[in-house]
Parts: sequence; C-alpha cells; structure tokens
Amino acid sequence: MVFGHSAAEERSGTAAGSPLNLAQSRAAVRVDDNGRGRCILSVPGIKCGACVAKVERALNARDDVVYARANLTLHQATIVLEGPDTDPMPMIQTLAALGYAATPVQSGADTAPDPTGKGLLRALAVAGFGAMNIMLLSVGVWSGADGQTRETFHLVSALIAVPVVLYAGQPFFRSAVSALRRRQLNMDVPIALAVALALVLSLFETVQGGDHVFFDAAVTLLFFLLTGRYFDHLMRERARSAVSGLAKLSPRGAMLRDEDGSLTYALLESITPGMTLSIAPGERVPLDLEILSGNSDLDRSLVTGESMAVAIGPGDMIEAGALNLTGVIDGRVLRSSDDSFLAQMIRMQSNAEAGRANYVRIADRAARLYAPVVHLLALITFIGWMLVTGGDWQTSLFIAISVLIITCPCALGLAVPVAHVVAAGRLMRMGVLMKDGAALERMAEIDHVVFDKTGTLTTGTPRLGNIPDDPVMRSGAKALAVRSGHPAARAIASGLHDNPSDVTCHTEVPGFGVEGLIEGRRARLGRAEWVAEIADVAAGAGSPAFGFEHCPSVSFDLAETLRDGAIEAVTDMKNAGFSVALLSGDMEDRAKAVATALGIDDIHYGATPADKIDILRTGLRGGHRPLMVGDGLNDAAALAAAHVSMAPSTASDAGRTAADFVFLRDTLDAVPDTWKVARDTARIVRQNFALAIAYNCIAIPLAVAGLVTPLIAALAMSGSSIIVIGNALRLNKAGARTREKPASHVKRKETPA
Amino acid sequence: MMSNLTGAERTKAMIITGFGAMVGLLMAIVGHDDPMGAHGWITLLFFGVLFFVVGNAFYDPEPTEDRAALYYDDPTKVGIILALLWAVVGMSMGVWVASQLAWPDLRFDAAWSSFGRLRPVHTSGVIFGFGGNALIATSYHIMQRTSRARMPDQISPWFVLLGFNLFCILAASGYIMGITQSKEYAEPEWYADLWLVVVWVVYFILYMRTLARRNEPHIYVANWYYLSFILVVAILHIVNNLALPASLTGAKSYSLFSGVQDAMTQWWYGHNAVAFFLTTGFLGMLYYFLPKRAERPIYSYRLSILSFWGIVFFYIWVGSHHLHYTALPYWVQTLGMTFSIMLLVPSWASAGNALMTLNGAWHKVRDDATLRFMMVAAVFYGLSTFEGSFMAIRPVNGLSHYTDWTIGHVHSGAMGWVAMITFGSIYALVPVLWRRETMYSWKAVEWHFWLALTGTVIYVFAMWNSGIIQGLMWRTYNEAGTLRYSFVDSLVAMHPYYIARAFGGLLFLTGACICLWNVVMTIRRVPLLAPALDYPTSSEAMEPAVPAAE
Amino acid sequence: MTILIILIPVTLSMGAFGLAAFFWSLRNGQYEDLSGDAERILHDDDVPLKSLNSTSRMIVTKETKR
Repeated sequence: MVFGHSAAEERSGTAAGSPLNLAQSRAAVRVDDNGRGRCILSVPGIKCGACVAKVERALNARDDVVYARANLTLHQATIVLEGPDTDPMPMIQTLAALGYAATPVQSGADTAPDPTGKGLLRALAVAGFGAMNIMLLSVGVWSGADGQTRETFHLVSALIAVPVVLYAGQPFFRSAVSALRRRQLNMDVPIALAVALALVLSLFETVQGGDHVFFDAAVTLLFFLLTGRYFDHLMRERARSAVSGLAKLSPRGAMLRDEDGSLTYALLESITPGMTLSIAPGERVPLDLEILSGNSDLDRSLVTGESMAVAIGPGDMIEAGALNLTGVIDGRVLRSSDDSFLAQMIRMQSNAEAGRANYVRIADRAARLYAPVVHLLALITFIGWMLVTGGDWQTSLFIAISVLIITCPCALGLAVPVAHVVAAGRLMRMGVLMKDGAALERMAEIDHVVFDKTGTLTTGTPRLGNIPDDPVMRSGAKALAVRSGHPAARAIASGLHDNPSDVTCHTEVPGFGVEGLIEGRRARLGRAEWVAEIADVAAGAGSPAFGFEHCPSVSFDLAETLRDGAIEAVTDMKNAGFSVALLSGDMEDRAKAVATALGIDDIHYGATPADKIDILRTGLRGGHRPLMVGDGLNDAAALAAAHVSMAPSTASDAGRTAADFVFLRDTLDAVPDTWKVARDTARIVRQNFALAIAYNCIAIPLAVAGLVTPLIAALAMSGSSIIVIGNALRLNKAGARTREKPASHVKRKETPA
Repeated sequence: MMSNLTGAERTKAMIITGFGAMVGLLMAIVGHDDPMGAHGWITLLFFGVLFFVVGNAFYDPEPTEDRAALYYDDPTKVGIILALLWAVVGMSMGVWVASQLAWPDLRFDAAWSSFGRLRPVHTSGVIFGFGGNALIATSYHIMQRTSRARMPDQISPWFVLLGFNLFCILAASGYIMGITQSKEYAEPEWYADLWLVVVWVVYFILYMRTLARRNEPHIYVANWYYLSFILVVAILHIVNNLALPASLTGAKSYSLFSGVQDAMTQWWYGHNAVAFFLTTGFLGMLYYFLPKRAERPIYSYRLSILSFWGIVFFYIWVGSHHLHYTALPYWVQTLGMTFSIMLLVPSWASAGNALMTLNGAWHKVRDDATLRFMMVAAVFYGLSTFEGSFMAIRPVNGLSHYTDWTIGHVHSGAMGWVAMITFGSIYALVPVLWRRETMYSWKAVEWHFWLALTGTVIYVFAMWNSGIIQGLMWRTYNEAGTLRYSFVDSLVAMHPYYIARAFGGLLFLTGACICLWNVVMTIRRVPLLAPALDYPTSSEAMEPAVPAAE
Repeated sequence: MTILIILIPVTLSMGAFGLAAFFWSLRNGQYEDLSGDAERILHDDDVPLKSLNSTSRMIVTKETKR
C-alpha cells in the first residue's frame, strides 16, 4: 500500500477534514422546538472579552446563522442555525480563519446545566431573605421591643421562618434521613435535629407568648451552612466542567465500509460485530477490531502503556482506544461497544471504585463521635433540670433544647468545606483540578507513591539516544525521517541536526517505514527486517534502522523523554518520607531504564490492568495508603483502586475520569505541590475542629446552666462560623510560599489525536 | 430633534402637551387666590412652550432612515444639558445660602430669599435637578447600550425627562413662594407629588419595555441598580407623601401620619432616598462608566451582584438612626443603628470593587482626569459610608446630631461621591453621545477636577471642625452645672468655618460652570469622530443620529 | 408604633419582590457566564444589534433552563 502524499500532510488534514469529523460535526447539530438547528462548539481560544466580541461578530455576520453567543466561562459558542439541516462546518471554518480552533460539543453531560447548584442557590436565597427579615425583627426584640410588639414580631418571624426552614432546610433533612436509614450518623443529623427542634420550640413559645424564640438562629444557621455547601458544590462543578472541557471529541461514531466500498457514518451503539469499519490516520480506534486490510502504526501508549508505536497489518487484533498513526485500515468489528476493551476497562474501574465508597469523610467521622455526646448531654441537662426544678418539664425541655441549638455544629459543618474550597482555589491556580474535597483528605493520608511510566514519568515522545558517525548516513536518515509522521521518525528528524539530502520518489509503507531515492540510491528507514530486504543489517540489530541499498545499515536507539520535574517530584516525595514505586505495562528494559534514571528501586513491569489493581490492593490490605499517578486506559482501574490518584491532562478520558486530581501543567511538580496543599489543608481542618470544640467548651456550660438567650446563640454561632472561615482563608496566604504560577501559564493540553 | 419624530408621534406630543397646558390653566383658575395658581401658570407656560415647539415643526420632513438601527440619544443629550444647568443653579443656591450663614445680610430682607426657603431650592436643585436628570439621562444611555436595543418609543422618554423637570421647577418655585409640606427632601405639595408618580410610573414602564426588547440576553448589573432606584423611589415617594389636601383649590395638605409616626415615615423615606436615589442609581452609573472608561471589566462582577442585594436588603431599616434620642421607641433606634453598622459591608464591597477595577490601570488614572473623577468618587463613597455607619452609633450621634458634622457628612457623600461620579460619567459620555473625538478642552477637565476636589476637601474639613466644636460647646458645663457657652458663643466660633465652607462651595460651583462650558464647546467646536471599524457595517449606522440637530 | 403595620408589610413585600426577581434571573440563565458578561459592555459597537424577537433570544438561553 503506497500513498502519494506525505503522512504529515495527512495528519494535519485530519483535524477538521476527515470524513469522520465532518460526520461527527453534523451529528452534533440538534433540532430545537422552532425547527432550527443549534450546535455548541467548544472553542478553547475564547479567553477574553475581545475574543467573545470577535467570535460573535463573525458568526452573526453569516446569513445561515440566526444567533450566536460565546461563553467566556465555558469557552464555548452556541450557534442557532437557520434550518435543521444547515451544515455547521462553515462555522468551524469561519472560526478557524479567525484563529480559533473549534470542535462540536456532543450535547450531553458537557452542556447540561447544573440543577443541583441552582437548587442550592435558590435555597440560599430563600434562607438569606428569611435570615435578613427575621434578624430585623429579632434585633428589634433584643433592643427592647416588648409586650404586644414583641408578640407580633415573634408571630411574623414564625410566619417567615416556617416556610423558609421547610424549603431551605431540605438538603440537610434529606441527607440526615438517608444517613439514619443506613443506621449511620453524619454531620447533617445533629444539624437537622437542632434546626427542627429550634423551629418547633420557637413555635411553641410563640403560641405561649414566651420570651425567647430561636427563629433567627435556625434560619441564620441554614444560611451559613448553605453558603458552605454551595461553595463546595461550586468548586466540584468548576473542576468537573474544566475536566470535561479537556476531553477531546472521543469517538461516538465510526465510518462504516459498505458492501460497495462507500463510507457511511454510524453511531457506535448501532454497530454490531461483523461490520467493517474504516479508520483514517489520526483517528482513535473506536471498537475492538481485527484488521482486514491496510498496514499502519498504532500508538497504544494510552491503552497498554507501551511507549513505542507498534506496526500492525492484516490479521492483527487491535483494541479500542489506540491511536492509528500512519495508514488507512479497514477492520472487522469483533465486539459491540458494550463489550469492547474500553468498556471492560470502565467496568473494572467502577468495580475498583466501590472500595473507595467505604471511605468516611472526616466531618462525618467527627459527627459520629460528636452527635451522641451532644444528644446525651442534652438528655442529662433535661434530667438534671427536672430534678432541680422539681419536675418543671417546660423549663427543663427549653434548656435541653437550647443546649442542642447552641451545640449545633455550624462551625463544624463549615470547618471542612470552607478549607477545601480555599484549597481547591489554590490548586486551580497551580493548574491542578480537584474532583472533590474527600480527595484532599485522602491525599493528606498517603504513605506510598506509585507512578505509571509512559505518559506520566515520561512524555511519550521518544528521543534519539545515539547519533551515527557517518554524516552521509545522518543526512540520508534525516531526509527520510522528515517525510514521515511516525513518532520514531519524528524523534530521528529532531535528533539529527544535519541538512537532509535530496530525496526523490519517496514512499511511506505503513507498518514498515519510509523508502526513497537519495542521489539515485535506494534507501530505507524503518523496521530492521524491512531495511534488511535491501541493505546489510547486522543480526540482532534493533529498530528503527537506516540503510542504503547493498550497504551496511545503522540502527537508532530511541530513549524515552522524562517529563519535566519528574526527578524533582520523585526526590521530593522520597524526602517527604514516602516509598516510591514504578508500575508499568511496558517492557522490562524500558521500565528499568526510566526507574534507574529517577532512582526508583521498586519496579513492576509488564503489568496488565488487573496486575496493577492487584499490586495496589495488596498494598491497601497491608495498611498502606498509596497515591497512584497514571494516565493510560490501562491505569484507569488502578487509579480508581488507589487510596487517591492523580492524572495529567494528557491522560485518556477514562484515566482523567478515574483520577481524583488532574494536573494541567506539563511538569510533574504538581504531585508534591498537591500533596503539600493537602497537608496544609488537613492542618487547617484540624485547627478548625479545635476552634469549634473550644467554642463548644465555652457555650455548653452556659447552655446547660440555662443562661443562653437567642441573642447569645446568634452571636456565638455567627462568631464561631466567621472565625472558622477566617482561619480557612489563611490557606490562600500560605500558598504564596510554594511554586505557584499564574493561571495564564497553564496550558490546556489536548489528547493527541 | 423634531426631525426624528414621525407625524403620528408629533400629533401625540401635541395632544399630551395640549392636555398638560389645559390642566395648568385649570389649576391657575381654581387656585387663583392661592400660590397654587402661580403653579398653574407655570405649568401652562411649560406645556405651552413645548406645544409650540412641536407644532412649529409639525410639517417638517419625517425621518426616512431606519430608526431601529440606531439608539435614541436625543433625550439623553437634552438630559445631560439639563443636569448641568440644574447643577449651576442648585450649586449657586448652595453658595448663596452658605454665604447667608456667614454674612446674614445677604438675605436682603426679602421673604423669598430667607434661608428656610432657599435651602430646599439648593437641596432639591442638586439632588433632583442635577442628580435626577443625570440619572435619567445616563439610564437612557446605559439601558439601550447594555440591551443592545433602541428604546421602544420616542414619546415616553421625553415625557419622563421633561415631566420630571416640570416637577423640579414646581418644587423650586414653590419653595420660594413658601409652598412646602416640611418634609426634608419631600417638600413639594400634593399636586406636584401626584405628577411625579405619573412620571415615575411611565419611567419604570419605559425601562421594563426596553429590557423586554433587549437583544443581549444578559441584563448587565448596572440595570439592576437603576431598576431598584426607580422602583424603590416610587414606593418611598408614595408612602411618605400620603397626605390629604386641605382643599383641592390650594396647595396646603396634611400628612396622613402624625407625631413620631410621621417622623419615622419621613426618615424611613429620607434615608432610603439616600440609599436608592443617591446610592444605587449612581452605583449603576459607576458600574457602567468606570469599566468603560478604564477599558477593564469590573474586578469582580459576582461581587457587584452580591453587594447589590446586600445594599438593597440592609438599607431598608436604617432610617431610624436619624431619630436617636427622640420619642421614637428605643428599640427602633437600636435597630436602625445595628443595620447602619452592618451596611458597611456591602458598601465597602462596592467601593473596593471599583478601586480594584482600577488596580493595574493607575497610569490611566494618573493621565485621565475623567477616570480620576470616578476614582475619587469611589474613595469618597467608601469614606462617607464608613462615616455614616460611625455616626449612626447612638453615643457618636449624641455628639454629631444637629451639628455641622452632619452637613459635612452629607456633602462628602453628595460632592465627593454623587457629583464626582456624575461629572466623571458626563465627561466619559459626552464625546460618545455627540460622537466627538474628545472633550473640547482636557485642561478644563483637569481644572474642574482639582477645583472640585479642593472645594470638597475644604468644605468637608470646615464642617468636621465646626461640627465637632459645636457639639462639644453645646455639651460643656461649668462648675455650677449650667451650660458653659451660650448658643451665640457657638455661632461666633462657627464663623470662620462658615466662610471656609462658602469658599469651598464656590470652588465646586466654578468647576461645575467650567464643565457646562466645556460640554457646550465640545458640542459646538469639536469635529465629528470618523468611524474607525475593523469590520464591515452599513455606514449610516455609525453616523450621528441627527446630523442637523446642532 | 402603629406605623409598623404599614412599614413591615411594605418592607417584606419589597424583599419578596427582590427574591422573586432573583429567582427569575436564576431561571433565565443570567448567571451562566459572569466573566463574559462583565467584558461584554467593553466591546459593543454603539449600534443596536439586528433586531431579535424575544423567541429567538429565548432559544439561546433555553438550554440553560430546565
């Protein structure tokens, strides 16, 4: 199979022009209620207001566009098209002409709005409205309004508080009920109980015409806690959208080769085993295939961790997720998308994740201790006052409930989320995305670090290890190398600095190498066996090799490039007292070479995904808490199985989904930096707990003694909450010490495609 | 200007002005033996002139171009000029009454020129005449720009602008004739109040209609501020002016409330007028013109929204701090005090947000007096809100209340914040509005800036000193337990400060006059801006809306 | 303080109105792209956009509500 044009050209063409991409773009257009097409483009280049204006102007100037709007936060453009069949490709080309790369976003998770966040915000607004108005009336009562005025104010407060608590308290009540159903205690149990009791007690007092009502405490409490919860949610939502923004269009469909040889686009779900697919260079293999025709090279680094591309030809089996590099291949589908290698990996990953669900967050661990103690204390208070007052159950109950209200763990409820939100902000400035707060807690507990090799410790692009002495050979090899897009050829091209010789009649043979005429002599660069067909290749010489016809050949050594900061990261983690291990799916010698360069002694090579999980599980059973850093599809399950995990932004979709942290910068410094933030955060959380407990130590005796009035309750709770928040904000300041770089340095890296 | 109205719109305008003139005539007839009659004649004259202006141009050619392709800027232009005219009038009155305090002979022994009658002319002139016109004009500009849509019709903006000015004229002329219902900042009598309600409802509807036809889905935060200004001022105005006219043929009316209830309503109104007239509206101005001029987005847009809700919620009950140590129940005073202190949080959030927006563009602030006006406005906003919260604390209020300190506080807000942000906005707006390259004289802007700043600082420092001296003198006792100083003693001590105040005010007035001159010269002398666009557009769209207007 | 009979309901209804306005703005998708919206005013052309009827404006914000 011989192609007339160079592979490099073909590769650049794949970005927008391949039939698969065209078909996918068209498939991304949805029809709205008015019979118009609408599509959402992901445009990572939208980074400022001027970009927004430029993109919108260019798109709105088109006749086939009804309306276009760019979103700076999501780096997206939403376009309403004239008709349902309008082709979105011209829009993408319009943007490309302005210098903005755009890819259609498949509607689905990426574009879905965030109903939980809106619900929380609505609850927050209601609680804010209630808190303001009730506080207004309460300040009046505290300042001395009495008699009928006070009773009226209590009544008005009750009328506001009841609906507000019923509406805004739902997140807490639901969570508390579901925890109790599971016969567990979490932070929301004492919170829900305190709020509900405060409301009931105050209603009772209002009806009785009593002196003290706690409506303001109940509602303000909800307001504070909802604020913490909303920020917590916002942090996760932001990380989620940032991570999904990284996802390059993963194949949702494929080009079917029909009987007559023509190509049609089909969604993956509708493809059944036995059908024939055609895969162009630059595309990812969508399903497990057996190759029928065509040769090519396959980059399996994200699938198996092999660092070097492998040549494939008819009869080979290839897995979904691998990247086709050089030639067009046709293949028979072996398994439907549900059974593909990718799907198996994802199943394995979700199984592995199940173990992590048992992790109990620190706040809930605290609640398990805290709630029984407080409730017991309230009971003792009740009994004590019954004895002291000689059976005055009303007074006793009032005091007992006021103990519960004042010990309501508002500060405890805020202690963790606020610290995590601040830490997440700091991590984001460092170019690290955090999935949720629990990950940060787990990160602070690690005692062992496991690195994947390919794509994690190394960059995946090979580098030339040796340079031939003969300048003629160098120029010749370079001349052929620049004419191929194969990673090995590119490494040779960039590793040799000679001027390339003139080449005529060059051809690339996918799976084998490049051949051409240099000064009239036939020369080949590629697999050693293939070069040996024309040149003299020494027995046992490695690939790739280069040789002129009937002349001795040279072989090139390709070494892997270490990722920036890999050495520092490994050293830092070792210095922090952690044992470091390498866990690779690659061959022994390559794994060992990298491990030696980095000073890692604990090496596992040739590991299958199942091996990786086993190794981690063994560690976990032995009481270790490993941090796994990996990127490949084969690492996904291991990432999920580890105590906590990190992945670079270049990782496979599955790897990014599985990891707790995703770092956007190229350097591996992110690993020790993230750990340091986690450690600082854990320290702040502990301080916050100490502050909250100190507050309780002061407040509880007062409450037990029956001295707590609603004014004291409100002041104490707001005061302790603000102290806890202020303490958490110190995390931001501490960030100045570490290697923080402004966000503009953070590059959004796409997966190679 | 008339060339921008169609025949049908001219007819409508004539019907409205004709009807207004008839109402004026009716008032003149039924109120012939009351000052209300004079107001009838003023109304008749006002509408009559407008009637003839419209009628005169009735048969002129109608607009030919597509008006929807342009913003409707004529009322904005007129509003800006009116605001500056009112500024000169109102501030002149201010300088006059300030001088009367230093040199009482300046009353010239006339009833109409007594301090009690001229002072409301000053306050209403600057607050409603200058501030109100500036708010209406800038709101027309901002609501169209941020909605990316033209106003829905061409009559109601004129109705609102000119109707509001009629209210201001009735108010100012009434004070001089002795017509007042003795409520601070709400002095005009019942018929003027009713007229303002009509104008204000039309204003609100106009704003909502413009927003409803917006082509930009997002409603920029400045619009929220302006809307709260319009809506809440309407409610405040209606509640505080609930009154029963003594007779339908006379100006005199009686408030529906009495005693401390009336005082509470008045200050619920009074301080919310500070909040929603002098704060939220002008914050809307700040949130549009400051980013626009600095060419930087607002530092934290989220914070600007958050502090909007904070200001709106906190201000509502603050008013009772005006009634410390009165018959008002103690707890109501404490309530007002508590919320006044909490108000500092959203206020400083806004001021900080404005200053942080400029952070990183200080070289622009250094070079551009317009931006400096806005920066100083934000600083004074922060200072005077802090001072306000501080003075609302009961013991502090015990010293400051009824003294010149209050006057100083009000003027650091009114001159330092309200007037500075307005002048800054006007300098930013005028070249855009008339499509001029620049202001006529940037040196004049510099002069204005330094005059205004010096004037404000002299004024405020004079009043701080005199207020604190006054407060201390009033509360000094001698060994016998009687007051150490007589009232006249304190007046004598005030005299130098009163002169300083009049001087500071004079500087400020001079600045305003320079501003008016500069704007007029910009319109008359500065060449039109040649549109320089990097994308294709239909060329008429960038031409001035009314080439023949000037 | 009988005046409170008027002032409290007035204040509460103003607050409730504000709350309703906030709910509307949330549902309308007013807070979807705050950083973009802050920038937008800096880059307008000082001419109205080509007129959109309100339905087509809704198309854009539609998906954001649910």
